[in-house]
Amino acid sequence: MIFIAITIGCILGALVGINIPTISYTYSSYLAIAIIAALDSVFGGISGTLKGEFDFKVFISGFFCNSILSILLTYLGNKLNVDIYLAAIVVFVGRMFLNLTIIRKYYIEKWSKKWEERKIKK
Amino acid sequence: MKKGKYVMIVTISIVCFLLMMVIFMQFKVTQKSKEINIDTMQEAELRQQLANWKNKYEETKKKREEVSNTLETYKEESSSDSKTQEALEKELSTLEQALGKTDVEGEGIIINLREKKENELGDDESITPIFANDLIYIVNSLKDAGAEAISINNERIIGITDIVDIGEYVNIKINSNYIRTNEFEIKAIGNSSYLESSIFGKGGYAEQLEISGIKATVQKSNKIRINKYTGEINFKYVEEVN
Repeated sequence: MIFIAITIGCILGALVGINIPTISYTYSSYLAIAIIAALDSVFGGISGTLKGEFDFKVFISGFFCNSILSILLTYLGNKLNVDIYLAAIVVFVGRMFLNLTIIRKYYIEKWSKKWEERKIKK
Repeated sequence: MKKGKYVMIVTISIVCFLLMMVIFMQFKVTQKSKEINIDTMQEAELRQQLANWKNKYEETKKKREEVSNTLETYKEESSSDSKTQEALEKELSTLEQALGKTDVEGEGIIINLREKKENELGDDESITPIFANDLIYIVNSLKDAGAEAISINNERIIGITDIVDIGEYVNIKINSNYIRTNEFEIKAIGNSSYLESSIFGKGGYAEQLEISGIKATVQKSNKIRINKYTGEINFKYVEEVN
């Protein structure tokens, strides 16, 4: 059920995104930082699920708040003539890597356990 | 619980929808921005672009000015070069004319010398061959009368010309060429009247030649052509002193 929802959401989003009129190039940097923030939230959510610490409210609030905050920070940086979005990217991408590491470790442990069990069975 | 799950599914699908939409929007923008479309730019960007182009224009203008300046100097140099070259060429051609290295043409006279025949001889006249001295005297006289170019039997008389007898009288050497004849044709360019009177005037050398049994005739012309000196001019001993 949840996978169907995810797939439908993704396909619909892609279709709408392709057909929507293009936004100004200036705003595209805000959009990019929002995407990074959202992806960070997604990976955070996945790693949380694997660890069993997943909280739906935290995930949703993180998803939207991080995106909006990063956009605001980028805007502020533009006004101050400081590239604040770089700091946001560093933080978000760093966290994304951390979460990816957690996900990787989880699956490696899982598979290696299965492997050993199989060996013992044999 | 069921309601909560339902909300969660809807929320997650909305999240997915938003994420994918934004991602694809961004893809589209980045793809288009590669073509630098002026329509998608904002005022600040346009201003930036304008400033860039202005800078570029200014630089190019400066460069153009520099290049045109250097071009101007080159032009000046080349024109002055061509002027000096013209002057040099003029000088060279004058020098060559003076040296006898060019064919020349102009007003002048032609003197023909030949030994008299027996029946032409006067009372106290006797046949004498034409010697180099006769030619030298005539050439000198012509030069004195302002001859600008002289030739004997088409041998141009120049600064280094030698006119000498070699053994027999019919053998005269001019410009290292042996002329075995007793008939000479001397051409001279200059004021024809002066030239004529210098030889054929009263008490001139023609009278003496007449006595020596040499027939000298003169012919004036407005257009005498004298060929150039064809030999080489080499100096072995002479060195220029600075």
